[in-house]
Amino acid sequence: MIEVDRLSKRFGAVTAVDGLSFTVRPGHVTGFLGPNGAGKTTTMRVILGLDAPTAGTALVGGRRYQGIVRPLHEVGSLLDASALHGSRTAWHHLLSIAQSNGIGRRRVTQVLQLTGLDAVAGRRAGTFSLGMKQRLGIATALLGDPPVLIFDEPVNGLDPEAVHWIRELFKSLAAQGRTVFVSSHLMSEMALTADHLIIIGRGRLLADTPTAAFIASSVRIDVLVRSPQSGALSDLLTGHGATVTTQDDGGLAVTGMDAPTIADLAAKHSIAVHELTPRRPSLEQAYLDLTGDSTDYHAGVLPEIGKPGQ
Amino acid sequence: MTTPQNPAATARPSLAARARDVLTFEWTKLRSVRSNSLTLLIVAVVTIGVTAVVAHTFAVTPGQAHGGPMSPLTESFLGYAEYTVLPVSILSVLVFTSEYSSGLIRTTFTVVPQRWTVLGAKAVTTGTAALVAGEVLAFASFFLTQAILSGRHGGLSMSHPGVPAAVLAAGFLLCVCALVGLGLGAIIRHTAGSIAATIVVIYLVAVLCLVLPSPWNTRLGRFTLPFAAYQVVTLHPQAHLFSPGVSLLVILAWPAAALVTAGILLARRDL
Repeated sequence: MIEVDRLSKRFGAVTAVDGLSFTVRPGHVTGFLGPNGAGKTTTMRVILGLDAPTAGTALVGGRRYQGIVRPLHEVGSLLDASALHGSRTAWHHLLSIAQSNGIGRRRVTQVLQLTGLDAVAGRRAGTFSLGMKQRLGIATALLGDPPVLIFDEPVNGLDPEAVHWIRELFKSLAAQGRTVFVSSHLMSEMALTADHLIIIGRGRLLADTPTAAFIASSVRIDVLVRSPQSGALSDLLTGHGATVTTQDDGGLAVTGMDAPTIADLAAKHSIAVHELTPRRPSLEQAYLDLTGDSTDYHAGVLPEIGKPGQ
Repeated sequence: MTTPQNPAATARPSLAARARDVLTFEWTKLRSVRSNSLTLLIVAVVTIGVTAVVAHTFAVTPGQAHGGPMSPLTESFLGYAEYTVLPVSILSVLVFTSEYSSGLIRTTFTVVPQRWTVLGAKAVTTGTAALVAGEVLAFASFFLTQAILSGRHGGLSMSHPGVPAAVLAAGFLLCVCALVGLGLGAIIRHTAGSIAATIVVIYLVAVLCLVLPSPWNTRLGRFTLPFAAYQVVTLHPQAHLFSPGVSLLVILAWPAAALVTAGILLARRDL
């Protein structure tokens, strides 16, 4: 369990995190979404005791991180996979970190096998590809077999196979009852991995909702209709209960009526139809609409998405 | 489904266990970077070589043993003072700055959030390694120099009063300079700047004092590491500098100031 309460972090004149509150619960993969610069990494650094908050608190398992002795047994984290000494071998890198928390060599071997790095453990970490560094970072996070796991952009720059592996790993960790908190700026990735979403923009909470609820409420279906007699068609469709919006280019965006019904109505009244396209805005678009600059940032403007903690 | 419980997480480790954790953490990091041991090996070879050349020159130059500030004792450490102290101090700077430049420092402080504990463990491991290397090379330099001098003007023996303490002090100075470098690395965080600052503190402040008009050269100079080091290593301390006892306090004050400042900044700063 991770509890962030009215957390703020300012760097000089820049407010990176602005009164952020949320709770990350065990048994789920919770996606932490926001555009680059939204404050995700800063929030994670505060949770991990690296940055001191300007105001508010962040607790892991009910405690401040700084007070935890041998924290690898309680929280595993990966902030930056390339943060390695290039001339140290993967084995020695992991061994030193294991020793810092009283963890034995056998566990080091185990996590190397688990992440598929056992064959390259003797190689210098500087020679690793990004994907191998990410695996090494995940091995580090798993060393203490912790109930809480925090990952910052773990799939950045990885090939599809590695992304799939990480996704399945996170799901299995959550299924074991662990708290898995994963940041990303990619909605599409989080839609596949996370079953709960915390979305922030400019350091503020935009949404705290189950992924399924976000998808259901955000994806509206409409039909684009073009006709030389758009005025008449618009009146006709409105008369039959549809909602019609005229687009800037003259096309009609119709909601509340499906494409076959529109076509039948138009044929019955001898109105020519030049285009009839059912549209399904992508999840990505819904996310962009939410985080875009045009919006006033408040969780309250999206009541249909669900209240925090559902 | 229940949250996994880890027995190691609930049992609070003893102070000794925590100390062992953090010391082995830092020691493994120190020994697993090949350039550290390689540099130390090169340092040893060069120091011994330079010491032999200096001793030979001293031996064949008539009258050197009796006049001038150099004695057969201080002569022993000319190679050591430059070719051991400088590179080892720079390696010590890297203990912090290499972690800052790679970002590893965040991992270090995530796995051990108690920042003073990390600083202490780094100081103990680096300081111990430097102390061992310093004593080995100080004694090697002494015996090599005296062996070369014994054929000419007659070298000093270890049984000469004050000699064992002086050689021990020379070895200890490497530990002092290493801790100054370590502390400055933690304070400045950037490798180049920290190395420059370390060279200024260890050598250049004293060089600057030398060019000041008398009596300011010695009045200020006695607070610097090289002047204080001379007083504790020589058998004939200069009267216008601090006594060997006070000079030892000066020597201890430099690393203490660097480490205390580093500790205060580490506790306050974001990473």
